[in-house]
Amino acid sequence: MKTNDLASRIPWTLVVFLVALVVPWLGSRYNTFLATQIAISGLFAVSLNLLLGTTGLVSFGHVAYFGIGAYVCGILMKTYAMPFSIALPAAALGAAFASLVFGFFCVRLTRIYFAMLSLAFSQIIWAIAYKWNDVTGGDQGLPDVPYPDLDWMNSIPLLGDLRIAGQFYVVTLVVVGLSLAAMRRIINSPFGRMLTTIRENAERASAIGVDVRRYELAAFVVAGGFAGIAGALFGIFSRGVFSDYVFWPKSAEVMIMTILGGIDHFWGPVVGAATLVLLNQETTSYTEYWSFVLGTILLVLLFAFPGGIVGGLSAGFAWLRRKRRGAAGPETGSAEVATVEVKRA
Amino acid sequence: MTSQRLLAMTFAVALIPAAAVAEDPIKIGYPMPLSGPASVYGVPIVKGAEMAVQEINAAGGVKGRKLELLTRDSKASADEAVRLARELIIKNGVDFLSGTLTSAEAPAVSTIAKENKIVFVAPTSKTIQLVSPKNLHPYIFRLASNTDIDGRTGASIIAKWKDVKRVATIAPDYAYGRDAVGAFVEFIKKARPDIEIVDQQWPKLGTADFTPFITAQMGKKPDAVFCDVFGGDFVTLAKQAAPLGYFKMINNRLVDGGEVGTTDAALALGKDYPYGIWSDTYDPVIWPENEPPAHKAYIEHLKTFTKQEYASGWAIMGYASILALKAGIEKAGSTKSEAVAKAMLGLSFDTPIGKLTFDAKTHETGMGEFWGQMVKDDRYPFAIMKNPTYLSQGPYTQ
Repeated sequence: MKTNDLASRIPWTLVVFLVALVVPWLGSRYNTFLATQIAISGLFAVSLNLLLGTTGLVSFGHVAYFGIGAYVCGILMKTYAMPFSIALPAAALGAAFASLVFGFFCVRLTRIYFAMLSLAFSQIIWAIAYKWNDVTGGDQGLPDVPYPDLDWMNSIPLLGDLRIAGQFYVVTLVVVGLSLAAMRRIINSPFGRMLTTIRENAERASAIGVDVRRYELAAFVVAGGFAGIAGALFGIFSRGVFSDYVFWPKSAEVMIMTILGGIDHFWGPVVGAATLVLLNQETTSYTEYWSFVLGTILLVLLFAFPGGIVGGLSAGFAWLRRKRRGAAGPETGSAEVATVEVKRA
Repeated sequence: MTSQRLLAMTFAVALIPAAAVAEDPIKIGYPMPLSGPASVYGVPIVKGAEMAVQEINAAGGVKGRKLELLTRDSKASADEAVRLARELIIKNGVDFLSGTLTSAEAPAVSTIAKENKIVFVAPTSKTIQLVSPKNLHPYIFRLASNTDIDGRTGASIIAKWKDVKRVATIAPDYAYGRDAVGAFVEFIKKARPDIEIVDQQWPKLGTADFTPFITAQMGKKPDAVFCDVFGGDFVTLAKQAAPLGYFKMINNRLVDGGEVGTTDAALALGKDYPYGIWSDTYDPVIWPENEPPAHKAYIEHLKTFTKQEYASGWAIMGYASILALKAGIEKAGSTKSEAVAKAMLGLSFDTPIGKLTFDAKTHETGMGEFWGQMVKDDRYPFAIMKNPTYLSQGPYTQ
């Protein structure tokens, strides 16, 4: 149990942040782009997992809020030449507001009906993005979204040596790191515990006086807001906002990332995002039949790790620990407890 | 000491020819949709590019260096195309970019080309946004026609039909359809003030049911129709409109600016093709009369290269994109993108479908297409274009 205490005392978000921060100085400009994409996708997937893993709500339309964030930030920065420091919060607020409106209707339904309605709303957003040529650029999108003004970084040692893409990566990492830290706090707060209670048994939760719908709506808004931040960053990273960002395959993609990584762990979706981004990059550059290869790999991974990659690994570690303890003496009872704790961490 | 120096010298001498032979190839990155519905265009375009590279390399390459084509599946997605463009430039070190299909992919990749100062030749994207003054930069070049030319040329054909007074339009409800129809209406109003636009239908892209749009349009009794429905959608439209008597009512006076004059579209419809309509194609492929010898040779090679009985009308765009880059490199005398970008302004180069020139101001070829009536020919099991005529209608001036 002692090792477990130690592990929980390490500020993992900070550790991951510091390790990831080194990437732009390692030399490869392309790896910096990949790392940016992983960081943004990771944030997007963790925000979905707030619904999927923590609250037990299956949303097929999470991409809507990602897209709204991207469009709000892109339009403000490109069309109205607003600074990033205004556009980013505006994107988060816009996405949160949209999820408040749509979520109000969605949480009135359960399970598959909730999933279908969330998908329907996301397709409405897609139709608007695709058709409202004057504002969103329609199917041509908004190309050439500018990078934020990061000239102030040039006077800072080390940061000043980076190109704009590297500097934007640092900004992305700070925003993503703060967002993840905030989400982690939310999940571990009494509010987060209540969401888990709802996931485990919504009827019982409402029987003890919890306003289930209100909690679900709150989770929906928080998840939507963070998805909006991810979308805003992605629009700048890709140097343009396009209607693909709100189309349903992106919802499926983030769902795969989350499930692949493991919905029972906070870092699961981040691992899933990294895995999918890297697999996609490797398969598309080596074969034209990437979809076949990627599909097969995903199938094998999901069969090998039913609880996602992180779920599978931690189950494996727990098994190893149990085995070692089993050899040392009869202590299997406490090991069982440890496994359960790891799973719910 | 002496033996060592001798060894070093032999070594150095031995290296000289090796270095000259093994000079790196000139790399061209080619992101293009190779899966999903858009691959019906993407695959033949890439085949055309591959064939051009093969022909050029067989003839000794460009300035003694071989060309290397790096094709990637962009999945018809703008952000994937951006990622691939970055990967190709930074990781694979490509010298030039071409490819992309949709009107979102091309402007998205154009931004990356600008950022990295790499020449990018867009072979098929028609959106006027791509090289509009606010999006233009030194490294972007467009080979394809654009929606303005499409709409105007269609209008110039209808304008010649003196007995036509009532015209209707039908086009997919997104920027491409809206832009082409906008250019059509503007031109026809100036060319023929007596013509009235009696109806405009906007079915959504990929719709399975055109019947309500067709019946509504027939109710307005147009004499002629400008249509911009293309690809699989046109197959659906043609099959649903024929039994309703749509083509009969307008006397087959339908002009389609969506390349349904390609052999690809004609093959897809087979015997169901609405014979007698007018349409366009970048390459007529089957050219009954006055076929230029260069075109004949190109098509023969394409057929053996792709092992197809009838060649695709899209391959020419991929083929010409490589010829454009080759001409640019030769004129610049360098593979540096900066020099090639300058050389390509006003550059003329020959293609199997004729000479093309990049306008120094707009960075476009201002390329038109081959237009003609689609007719039945007993020698082929599908519609072919009668007298393909190259038309490119610029802004209306009078």
